[in-house]
Amino acid sequence: MKFQKKLFKSDMVSYIRKIIRGGWRNFKRQGFLSFATALIIFIAVMLGTLLFVFENGVNYFSEKIRDKMDVSVYFKESVNQETILDLKGQVEKLPEVKSAEYVSPEAAYEAFSKTHKDDTFSQSLQAIQVNPFLASLKIQTTKPEQYKIVASFFEKEEIAPYVREVNDHKRGEVIEKFSKIATDAESIGLVSTIILSIIALIITFNTVRLSIHSQRMEIEVMHLVGARNSLVRGPFLIQGMISGFFASLIAFILSAIVIFLAKDKIFAMTDGFDIWSIYMANLSVVILVQFGIGIGLGLVASYIATRKYLKG
Amino acid sequence: MIEFKQVSKDYVSNIGKEVKPALREVSFSVKDGEFITLCGRSGAGKTTVLRMIACEEKPTSGAVLFYGQNTIDIKEKDAYTIRQQLGFIFQDFKLLPYKTVFENVAYALEVIGQDTKKSKDEVMKVLDLVGLTKKANRFPKELSGGEQQRTSIARALIHRPRVILADEPTGNLDPYHSRDIMKVLMKINEAGSTIILSTHNKEIVNAIKKRVITIDDGRIVRDEENGMFFI
Repeated sequence: MKFQKKLFKSDMVSYIRKIIRGGWRNFKRQGFLSFATALIIFIAVMLGTLLFVFENGVNYFSEKIRDKMDVSVYFKESVNQETILDLKGQVEKLPEVKSAEYVSPEAAYEAFSKTHKDDTFSQSLQAIQVNPFLASLKIQTTKPEQYKIVASFFEKEEIAPYVREVNDHKRGEVIEKFSKIATDAESIGLVSTIILSIIALIITFNTVRLSIHSQRMEIEVMHLVGARNSLVRGPFLIQGMISGFFASLIAFILSAIVIFLAKDKIFAMTDGFDIWSIYMANLSVVILVQFGIGIGLGLVASYIATRKYLKG
Repeated sequence: MIEFKQVSKDYVSNIGKEVKPALREVSFSVKDGEFITLCGRSGAGKTTVLRMIACEEKPTSGAVLFYGQNTIDIKEKDAYTIRQQLGFIFQDFKLLPYKTVFENVAYALEVIGQDTKKSKDEVMKVLDLVGLTKKANRFPKELSGGEQQRTSIARALIHRPRVILADEPTGNLDPYHSRDIMKVLMKINEAGSTIILSTHNKEIVNAIKKRVITIDDGRIVRDEENGMFFI
């Protein structure tokens, strides 16, 4: 009991310092074990970073697909702008509608000319000197599948006479198909995130466990010399955290370099997916996630692994 | 003072669940400052006695009292309070491989919460006592068997324990180093520490001329002052 009191009275700060110093010393001296642990944690952190990029990529593309999936309603030539804007106001009130944009015949003509400025269509259009385009409303729904609600709005008895065409019948199948692809891609992203995270966790736990298992004799000696569980476990936890810290640091630097170098190619290949901007905009989250995964994995894996060898 | 009162210990084998008695109704007591040699064949129960004192094992029946405290009442997580009052010397040294000689010895002071700065002088003094001052910064793998055992002794006595338990400390050493180690242990005992030595080395037992407890098949068969090796 005398010894217990002596320890209780001892300076807590010095006790913690001893644990931290012990962990740091073990990390430095157990070169290969530390390297192996850090390497596995590094892979887990890189996997996490890759999933972050993948997740953002999937979101970007599914958003892009959804943005392109609008319902265009073309009005008869006789319908004036006020009536169309009034209908626009009504359709915007539908809860399923995200946005509605009025496109005048002039704007449609201009957009067409711009898109086809170098081909024969544009020249033919100029030759006839007539604007064949109709005024239209481009309507986006919250979910692409809701296009039918918009279509049925314009099929109402009092509105139908103004409408020349609602293009949902042509686009319906395409909208549903792409909408399914976008939903599937998101689900695949989520499932792969979960599966890969579990795999990373299992591999890291096992590596740390093997590393600590190889030191079980030392843990026994520490106990026999009279070390309390906290003094035995503490340096292992610190060592795990240090391994995680360095693994995260390297992963952070490396991922930043790779994303920076690949940003232009990705941008060109994907028609506008600016991963670098997303990375920089979420930098604090990226750092938090990378260091959280790294240090957290090192700490938790060491805690669980040492529990087996601690007594009482 | 340490007391064994009718202590029996049974081990149950994993295969076949066969009960193997390691100690059978063992009773003896150890006074402060005594030098006791436990001798007997391998597997006679000597190490079990030492492990019971260190709270590594609990008796199946009977009681082990460590300065009045029944070890059976001590929870596993609190066993360190007993171990901090002991010094342990092992046949295979059991040094921490990633710590230097100095750090291995200082570790015994760390576990009782002694300040590192204060420890430095004490560790150097003890290393001087065992003749390892010049090798303080070496790692265990860089030492000979005798030097490793002297490090283990230094670690066992640095915190001035009430009792030193030495389990076959010369088992892995040549006769020259064995004599060396025994001289150190005798010196420590003369300074007032209680020593319980387990050995089956006839020359050593006969040379010490102290109390000898002979254990055979888990039973004490002889307990003599100035005893001799007898199996």
